[in-house]
Amino acid sequence: MSGRAPLPRATRRLRLVLALFGAGLAALALEAAHARLSRPAAELRMAASAELVRAAGLTDLALFTEARHSRNPALADLHTAFQDAPMSFGHFPSGSFAPRPAAGFGKGTLGFDADEVRR
Amino acid sequence: MISLRSVTKLYNEGRPNELRALSDVSLEIGRDAVTVFKGPSGSGKTTLLSIVGCMARPTSGRVLVDGRMVSGLPETFLTEERRSTFGFVFQRFNLIRGLTVAENVALPAAPLGPDPRALAARIETRLEALDLADKADTPVEHLSGGEMQRAAIARALINDAPVLIADEPTANLDTDLTHRFLDIVADLRAEGRSVILSSHDPRIWQSDLVDRVVGMADGRLAEVAA
Amino acid sequence: MTPGLRRQRALAEYTLAAMARRRGKNIGLVAVYAAVVFFVASAMLFSAALRREAAIVLSEAPELVVQNLLMGRHELMPGAAVETLAGIRGVAGAQGRLWGYFYDRVNGANYTLMVPFDPALIPPAGAAIFGEAIPRTRDHPWLGAPLFLSRHPGDLVRFNAAGQLTAAQGLVSSDLILIGEADFRAFFGLPPEVYTDIAVTIRNPREIDTIVQKAEALLPDARFVTRDEILRTYQKIFSWREGILVALAGASILAFAIFAAEKASGLSADEAREIGILKAIGWDMRDVIAMKLWEGGLVSVGAFLAGTVAAYLHVFAFGAALFAPVLKGWSVIYPDFPLAPEIDGIEMTALFFLTVLPYLAATLVPIWRIASADPDQVMR
Repeated sequence: MSGRAPLPRATRRLRLVLALFGAGLAALALEAAHARLSRPAAELRMAASAELVRAAGLTDLALFTEARHSRNPALADLHTAFQDAPMSFGHFPSGSFAPRPAAGFGKGTLGFDADEVRR
Repeated sequence: MISLRSVTKLYNEGRPNELRALSDVSLEIGRDAVTVFKGPSGSGKTTLLSIVGCMARPTSGRVLVDGRMVSGLPETFLTEERRSTFGFVFQRFNLIRGLTVAENVALPAAPLGPDPRALAARIETRLEALDLADKADTPVEHLSGGEMQRAAIARALINDAPVLIADEPTANLDTDLTHRFLDIVADLRAEGRSVILSSHDPRIWQSDLVDRVVGMADGRLAEVAA
Repeated sequence: MTPGLRRQRALAEYTLAAMARRRGKNIGLVAVYAAVVFFVASAMLFSAALRREAAIVLSEAPELVVQNLLMGRHELMPGAAVETLAGIRGVAGAQGRLWGYFYDRVNGANYTLMVPFDPALIPPAGAAIFGEAIPRTRDHPWLGAPLFLSRHPGDLVRFNAAGQLTAAQGLVSSDLILIGEADFRAFFGLPPEVYTDIAVTIRNPREIDTIVQKAEALLPDARFVTRDEILRTYQKIFSWREGILVALAGASILAFAIFAAEKASGLSADEAREIGILKAIGWDMRDVIAMKLWEGGLVSVGAFLAGTVAAYLHVFAFGAALFAPVLKGWSVIYPDFPLAPEIDGIEMTALFFLTVLPYLAATLVPIWRIASADPDQVMR
């Protein structure tokens, strides 16, 4: 019939919404492509770390450096209790939802007194 | 040709508030005619229209449309029968609020998978014939009573139903609008459609247009005038 | 376009028109749902990237680490054990490792001092190679400034800078101080011929179990940690953290499904009436259900797309600023490394179904009864 008549409002609205969904899908695909394309560079970076792991003989990630048993979780003490409570002694703060205590982590200065230097 | 054979309809069957809306009604309604059911409220007119229009199933008895038994059909086929044969204009119009006139008129066509441009053209033609073209993009709640009725008629006819069923079409209309409605009925009849109405309005059943008046009382046919 | 597709289009058009009547409410619904998905997807992307990083980087760790135990606690390893282990058939080499912790009272950080295996990495006496975070957290005024460590009041040890490890290697080395063996033993007051533990290289990885069995007989007090156990520990750590976040967000998804079901089952008289009208004018149950599927699908798929796209940007473009503390943990010294972008297809598919199915079910189930009733109620 009227082949050139403007499309009804409902049809235009559906097209707009479907276009938005298409854009969302395209963005997701773009992100997947980005992940794929950035892989070689990331693998190069990881290879450098892996090489350091081999050369130095490391066993763990340097993510949780605070406590003795958390710096090397893979080699943790067999008898380390499950210490996930904030402010417990030898606390494993990395696993906690509680905020980090404001005070108590270092005093911020190091005196440069000549006779303190031993070597 | 629509035939009802010993149709009985009970509501809330077996419960204390059981209601016998129709008792043993047998009736034949011809094509290409205007038929009116007349009677006081509560006489079973609306129930009869529901059963004739395949919207409700009788508790007992049979309904045939053009010789096909429809009373025992499962829901899907009953809907198809209803969609292809009948257009409804409800007493309170039952337009969907918040949608425009054109969107309301398009609704019965949606399950058929229409081409949007062709459908838009069909809606335009239909609305023009009913003097509603300028209201096509108006939300239905902004229409007057007469405009709502014409929008409901346009919606009932969008699938080109051969039978139009209207329940108390003039209950909310003044004399002018009643005449306007009868003009539309005349046009429909001229197009070769059947019209089935229920009414207790003498302006309707005294009109020359009406081919047959069926009286009803207490869920039974009362007197049949030719 | 086939009639079936055109029917879907017409139903979708109606759904949109009906949803547009409460535009603000529906957009808000999608936005809140998208925020929930964003939360879960961020956790998934982040920990998937960390797991992959750990697996690749630690694949070069020693096949076997042997620790000495005394009263069930770590104890220094006597040097003689190196020869014992090296003598086992199938062992390519055994080397004593020297590493220890040092708590820096200046900034409250905990450093790891270590003697590297590779002679090329061993700095000259009195010098050290620093991990990337050490000059950073000690506010070194210039590159190559010496580091002073104080073991107790009145004590100061100077290490000249012999080099610095790159930030790209930070994930394994940010807190490292690499020094020579003599400096290490002098700094910690460690007697000669003892080691922290022993790293064992094994030629054929399939022989590890047999070698561990033999070694256990020779060193009954020792504890053996294989590389597979190290890798497994890290997969577990990050999965556990991801699990906490997903469990939290899972509760929100469930709450959302309850909300949607409540909304649909408490169908206002208006909505129930609208479905009745649609049925009366020629829609059948399947049309009503398809329309509701569109409604649920537009909300939940839209939320999934928006949530995951935003989560990828959040994690890989903005460093997961919102969740990093929980997922990585925090430290005084924190490695400053970029995450390698990675999408785990299986996890994303799981998330898709976790997002979409409960919502669809919650919108559909309550509608069923109304959709299958005879439509003649609207007549009265």
